[in-house]
Amino acid sequence: MKERTLFLSAIVAIVLVALGFLVASQANLMPPEASTRAVEVDQLFRVLLGVSTVIFFLVEGALVFAVLRFRKRAGDDRDGPPIHGNTSLEILWTLIPTAIVVVIGVYSFQVLMSIENPGRSPRIVEIIGRQFAWSFRYPDQDLATSELHLPVGQSVVFQITSEDVIHSFWVPAFRGKRDATPGQVSEMTITPREIGVFPIRCAELCGAGHSIMTSQVVVESQDAFDGWLAQQQALANDPGQLFLTMGCGGCHILAAAGSTGTVGPPLDGLAARAGGRAPSEDAAPYVEESILEPDSFVAPGFQPGLMPKNFGQRLTPEQLQALVAFLLAQP
Amino acid sequence: MTTYPATGTWRRYFSWNTDHKVIGIQYIVTSFVFFILAGMLAMLMRAELRAPGSDLLNAETYNQVMTNHGSLMIFLWILPVVAGFGNYLIPLMIGARDMAFPRLNALSYWLIPPAGLIMLASFFVGGAEAGWTAYVPLSIGGPPGQTLWAVSVMILGISAIMGAINFVTTVITMRAPGMTFGRLPLFVWGMMATSLLVLSATPVLTAGLVLVALDRVVGTQFFTVASGGDPILWQNLFWFYSHPAVYIMILPAMGIVSEIFPVFARKPIFGYRMIALSSMAIAVLGLTVWAHHMFASGMDPRLRVPYMVSSMVIAVPTGIKIFSWLATIWYGKLRLTTPMLFALGFISMFLIGGLTGIFLAAIPVDLHVTDTYFVVAHLHFVLFGGSVSAVYAGLYYWFPKITGRMYDEKTGRVHFVANFVGTNLAYLPMFAAGLMGMPRRVADYDPSFTSYNQMATLGGLILALSTLPFLYNAIVSWARGPKAAANPWSALTLEWQTSSPPPTENFAEIPVVTTDPYAYGEESSLTAEPAAAPAAG
Amino acid sequence: MSQQAMTHAEDYSAGLALGVDHRKIGMWLFIASEVMFFGGLIATYLHYKYTLGFPEASRLNIVAVGVNTTILLTSSLAVVMALSSIRAGRSGRMSVFLLLTILLGATFLTGQALEFSHLYGEGVTLTGSVFGSSFFTLTGFHGLHVLAGVVWAIVVLVRGLRRAFSAERNMGVEVFGLYWHFVDIVWIMLFTLIYLIP
Repeated sequence: MKERTLFLSAIVAIVLVALGFLVASQANLMPPEASTRAVEVDQLFRVLLGVSTVIFFLVEGALVFAVLRFRKRAGDDRDGPPIHGNTSLEILWTLIPTAIVVVIGVYSFQVLMSIENPGRSPRIVEIIGRQFAWSFRYPDQDLATSELHLPVGQSVVFQITSEDVIHSFWVPAFRGKRDATPGQVSEMTITPREIGVFPIRCAELCGAGHSIMTSQVVVESQDAFDGWLAQQQALANDPGQLFLTMGCGGCHILAAAGSTGTVGPPLDGLAARAGGRAPSEDAAPYVEESILEPDSFVAPGFQPGLMPKNFGQRLTPEQLQALVAFLLAQP
Repeated sequence: MTTYPATGTWRRYFSWNTDHKVIGIQYIVTSFVFFILAGMLAMLMRAELRAPGSDLLNAETYNQVMTNHGSLMIFLWILPVVAGFGNYLIPLMIGARDMAFPRLNALSYWLIPPAGLIMLASFFVGGAEAGWTAYVPLSIGGPPGQTLWAVSVMILGISAIMGAINFVTTVITMRAPGMTFGRLPLFVWGMMATSLLVLSATPVLTAGLVLVALDRVVGTQFFTVASGGDPILWQNLFWFYSHPAVYIMILPAMGIVSEIFPVFARKPIFGYRMIALSSMAIAVLGLTVWAHHMFASGMDPRLRVPYMVSSMVIAVPTGIKIFSWLATIWYGKLRLTTPMLFALGFISMFLIGGLTGIFLAAIPVDLHVTDTYFVVAHLHFVLFGGSVSAVYAGLYYWFPKITGRMYDEKTGRVHFVANFVGTNLAYLPMFAAGLMGMPRRVADYDPSFTSYNQMATLGGLILALSTLPFLYNAIVSWARGPKAAANPWSALTLEWQTSSPPPTENFAEIPVVTTDPYAYGEESSLTAEPAAAPAAG
Repeated sequence: MSQQAMTHAEDYSAGLALGVDHRKIGMWLFIASEVMFFGGLIATYLHYKYTLGFPEASRLNIVAVGVNTTILLTSSLAVVMALSSIRAGRSGRMSVFLLLTILLGATFLTGQALEFSHLYGEGVTLTGSVFGSSFFTLTGFHGLHVLAGVVWAIVVLVRGLRRAFSAERNMGVEVFGLYWHFVDIVWIMLFTLIYLIP
């Protein structure tokens, strides 16, 4: 290699690597790092971004340079030199990517082991997906809730499942997602590190309401969290709370619960419409039947088959009666 | 015995014809029609997503449009258009008169239009709404259109398998004298690798679709969770095919650009052996990576690491190809014709798709970005920036051979620029949207993602409009373009050593091959005489 | 053009470069894809056998199906004899062995039908359980392949009676034989996996 070529290559290499570092350290492409896992994942992401940047500019730069430099000049109709290959060059560009891939692979594996280590005595929270709402259960307190609250700095293992089709539980600010698969429980470990409210999204296509299957996770101090738990326990049989816990709000509008779902019929003013809707039925039995056997009568303009059919098992008789009375009392 | 209707009449394109060139054109034109339909569906989605809120399509219709967009693009555009190139070119490139099984060939084409109509018919019976991945149990409970979807994909799979049997048999048994495996054009190597993947992976998808269809129609219990059915099983069967499907779609594309670079750089392909070998390596490795689509699923966590390793290793043969192409154009005498521009565009955009693939293989990052717009962006850079760019490059490159007329170079350049700008503008913002938290396949989104989506919609619009100059160019040039010479590019592969368009049965006499197909810049090629001599006997 | 119309592959000296006829290569490739198809169905069966235990499998009658298996294996022998007969130029003898193949194949199918109806009588049905779905789909698809083989054998027999084959030209018989042996081998796999392995 000529001295000049060597010198130029060195400059190009330095510039590229500097560029890679710059992009990797400056790029801000992610949501807030609300969990310890997010910090590690982002570190890996930045390394990948830096390496990719170097390769990207190397290849695109060579491409643009070749197009400018080796373009056919007017009047020059000769062929290029008959170079068929260069064994050492080919070995080089096989070995270097292999080395990069090995390093990235080992590093990714280390990060994986670290982020999936639940630590000692994590809190368990059960997460249940159903079309089209998330609900949560704190097994230590035997408490079902419609909102997810977590104390900051405490390791938690989510046990995720679904009651109908596959969903995927994703908190972008935590950097992790796990599919909610019917018939099995999958685990995901998180340690929240920042107080705040962060969106929860469904990441696996689950039907017409996929894009509105959102919720939020509230990360708060231990005291606030304990207070919230106590409050939830007190509210466990409150029908307005049940409405949300059971996920009704995912599909139905109800002003008293603040819900805005439009997959199913709105429920405000239900009492005025419910009586006599299905032939020869009073309002209360009709509403009860609509909860237990949703497809026996479907309000005009809405699709059958979407509403879960398992509320008979999930609600106690008292809860069901309370919920029916609550719904019929809404203006 | 094979019969050919009179050549030169357009009616043969609408009839049962066993000439591989007619079948190739049938494949290419039919799949292009589906490409335009699927593109229109994409524009409907982009129009809906231009702003948050649901105003144009309701969520169900959106899911139908999204499902059919993906399914049409993959099963009725890229896969058949690639088979079309294979049909038209393989016999010509290896010096054969036709495919090994001409009637089987016609049959594999004629399965495609009915399968396409069956898929489109799903719109009228309640739609297929479960995405092209058709995850169970969602696809089991969906409306009747989902059954039509499964039947359509099954038929297309059978067509692809028949095509692959034909390609491999043809290449093994029908090469002209002197056409050793070491002299096979790289496009033929790409088609060989693809066909072997089709043969090993497609039947597994067919088996999976049989289970889904039986569950839906007969009421079997394969995916009924309450009876012990396992949704993850479908994901394994599906991805065992559908990840290799990406290589099925990209290997022939790599073959196409490997033909184009030497011709327009006027240099031999750099590292012929490594490019051919890496195609085979990608095909073999491609069968071992499917579960990287399931890192976030309920699969056994311990099984994930081997799949991460195999997925990353695939970057190596892919890198070898990219470096070899760069080395091919280095020191060349580049002629920046439209096919060359598209081939260069292929490298620059496929590179983005390939690099972001590493992010998706690294499990910790994947668990954040999988099932988000990051994946949407990645797969469109691979399949649109990659495969479709290469298909366009191939369409321009072989246009004079196929039609006997030259396309218009200026209009071709306009098409390239619009396509390049549109692709990058449409898909680059999607990476950012996905990283920031936008899931894929959503009919609506949080207002914080609006600006990314506006850019993507604008890019999509430019992409849609970019097909207009192509269509204009193709139609007008085919009808009235200047007559093309037999070998307008002074290329050395065999398809250029016969007239444009080639006669029935391709060659007056079967050529005898004496040199390698990329011997540019060497004494033997300077004579510009075909590298072929009359066959003995 | 001076050449006569002929099947394209026969046009080449290179066409036999590996010493194998293109129809045989085509059949081998088809069989490879069929292996993967059955592979998908077998993987499904084994996955559920592993996760669900399949207690219903105890209702299967190993002895009766074992007899049926022997019948199918014998039919493979008949196909071998048919091919060697025509290679020796003995067309009539080939027809006898093809007829035997058809009869044995039909007997196997009858046996399978009896087995299916017996299982239905015991309450094991296609839609009743994951075992029923997996078992009937897997063995049913194999049965369909045997049925297709019987139909093909009839076509080969008719062509043989019309003197389409000779000691030199018998690829049609050989390719059919490849398919038939493949279907037999799949059955040996299925018999082992479903009936023999507890």
